[in-house]
Amino acid sequence: MGTSAPPQHPTPTRAADGASDGLTASRARGQVVAIVGAGSFLGSNLAGLLEEDPRIRRIIALDTEPPQARGDKTRVYPLDLTDPKADVRLSEVLTSERVDALVHLAFLSSPSFAAAWAHELESVGTMHAMVAARHAQVRKVVLWSQTILYGAHPTNPNFLTERHPLRANRREPFFADKVEAEAEVQRFADRSPGSVVTILRTAPILGPTVQNYLTRYLSRRVCPTMMGFDPLWQFVHEIDALAAFKLAIDRDVPGVFNIVADGVLPLSTVIKLAGRVAMPIPHPIAETAIAALWMAQLAYAPPTFLKYLRFLSVADGRKAWDTMGFRPAYTTREALLDFASAQRLRDVHLLHEPTA
Amino acid sequence: MTPTPDDIRDDRDDLDDGPESISPNVVDGDPSRPYRADADAESESDVAPRSRAPLTEAEVAAKIRTLEERLDSMIGKREAGEGSAPRPPPPRFASVRALPTEPESTVFDTARELLSTEFYLRKWGRLGMRNRSEEVDDFGRDPVYERRVEPFFDFLYDRYFRVECEGIGNIPAEGRCLLVANHSGTLPYDGMMIKTAVKREHPQQREVRWLAEDFIFHFPFLGSFTNRIGAVRACQENAERLLAQEQLTAVFPEGVKGIGKLFSKRYQLQRFGRGGFIKLALRSRTPIIPVAVVGAEETNPMLLRIDYLSHALGIPYIPVTPTFPLLGPLGLLPLPTKWRILFGDRVSWEQYGPEAADDEMLVGRLAEQVRGSIQTMLDRSVKQRASVWLG
Repeated sequence: MGTSAPPQHPTPTRAADGASDGLTASRARGQVVAIVGAGSFLGSNLAGLLEEDPRIRRIIALDTEPPQARGDKTRVYPLDLTDPKADVRLSEVLTSERVDALVHLAFLSSPSFAAAWAHELESVGTMHAMVAARHAQVRKVVLWSQTILYGAHPTNPNFLTERHPLRANRREPFFADKVEAEAEVQRFADRSPGSVVTILRTAPILGPTVQNYLTRYLSRRVCPTMMGFDPLWQFVHEIDALAAFKLAIDRDVPGVFNIVADGVLPLSTVIKLAGRVAMPIPHPIAETAIAALWMAQLAYAPPTFLKYLRFLSVADGRKAWDTMGFRPAYTTREALLDFASAQRLRDVHLLHEPTA
Repeated sequence: MTPTPDDIRDDRDDLDDGPESISPNVVDGDPSRPYRADADAESESDVAPRSRAPLTEAEVAAKIRTLEERLDSMIGKREAGEGSAPRPPPPRFASVRALPTEPESTVFDTARELLSTEFYLRKWGRLGMRNRSEEVDDFGRDPVYERRVEPFFDFLYDRYFRVECEGIGNIPAEGRCLLVANHSGTLPYDGMMIKTAVKREHPQQREVRWLAEDFIFHFPFLGSFTNRIGAVRACQENAERLLAQEQLTAVFPEGVKGIGKLFSKRYQLQRFGRGGFIKLALRSRTPIIPVAVVGAEETNPMLLRIDYLSHALGIPYIPVTPTFPLLGPLGLLPLPTKWRILFGDRVSWEQYGPEAADDEMLVGRLAEQVRGSIQTMLDRSVKQRASVWLG
């Protein structure tokens, strides 16, 4: 593949240009944006979006595998965050490319059986990324996080704001690693005063092309539900999620933001609108069964996810609306219908995509 | 061979794979199955392999010829019934050549559709939605579902509890307002009855959202049911949001202590939480209407309360009423007492600013004041009442 070789001039640290100085300089020549996890759904699509923007001078795509499509402005560097020397390698790239903004998207979108590897990638990998960002004096860091980290509890308010603690089950590595990653980025924000750190907590992403644990759940003919429970769910459309990352790159909006679509839907309605059949199971039985299936690597989500089928975990997008100017184009219902229309084609094998 | 829509589709799939293939958009002459066009719009991965193989001029010419043939046979329908067309097209279009005639196709299509599981799944989905609306509000209230269960509440209101209302005019025609009521009766019917009362008696037929205890939402069925008919989990954030939407909101500051009190303590208001509702009213500058519900205390008179074991079940207590454990679940049916709901005068604290919410002393005093006015209304109404059953 014709990826450009990394340039061989790793300068130790960038010439000390102050934060504001760097800002004006980068505005004049166009921003350089590094995407860690460029092979992911969000990463590859975001690279495509940035490619179109004349204010972006260069896109640095970092991942274990190069992205499928690569624009003129994109430079690809192989990077494996699970490698113990990833921080040195990333720091070299960030310094030599004079990166202005680092977008960290290297997170699993579905739970993995390889918990140890996932921990290395998400938790330790974010540490590497932040060490490198500090060393290279990157001005802006944008992190992908998710609203499921708030956890599903019967004591949740109907709309969780960004001030609410992340109460997802920490014994579940899928949640714990992401919470640790957020803490790592917060630490970076505290230690580097001139930096702009944006954490975007997206609701479960839904759309015609995205693949994650949720699309897997909704692509089965029969969706298991918990008998007697009908929590409210909330999604965000994949285009809106990408738009939020673009906004965070374009504007300086430090802080944590919930990226959600308007409106909520009860789970029963979600399943019916997706054209599926709900299979209610008493939750003690379901928890035992899914735990056994997960241990046997037959289930596609661990039993901790069943809580989201019982209690609500819906976030309030007011702050992103007011501060970021984020305007979701799709409501929760429209995002679901958009997914369902593509899924219907996949069901009859008119659309072929690898399953996540 | 019997030509069927599926055959056509299979052929299309074949075509799609071959590099020398004819674009499916062109092959798709059957107007009743236009899904190829959709697929193109939806998928980029689908487009990629096709654009890879550019067609030569000869191939295009061949394609046009076959198309013309098909158009002839379709428009004219001259030889539609015959198995063989005058000019036999290439073998791969075998199914296209013998397009079924109109009546045949409908019969086959209908039969095929009826035999497919897809049909029943779709029907099932539609049936499932017939009692539910496709959109709910922020807190999950489902208007269609609500309308369906309305007769049940009307029955309770008219016939069973024979509710009488007093002072309904104190509720403003619009704008936010906080209804503060006493809580009683082991099972929380009072929220639903206040809602029904305002809906039926108030000239504007206003909707009441009431804040329900946490333990209801731990429960299967009960939680989702109360949520659909308009209850919201009681917490400061939810109440603030409801009032910001200018809703009429009912709160029961006694909480579980209110519904869980013994029969001997009936109509004695319990402590009003920590005055959260006062802080809420002060902060959002919302007027308060004290509400007294008389009659609910006797629906399920609780003689004894069992607190242990209940935690394992996720409920605050296990009630012992004259009927409950004895008659099983039937014992939880409320007794047909006569109810009265009294809406007091509106209280608004215009003289205090939002910062007064931080003054604990003031909050305590105001809470006590509201509690006193509800207690007075309760005492008066209970004294006036001649019989628990007939009012």
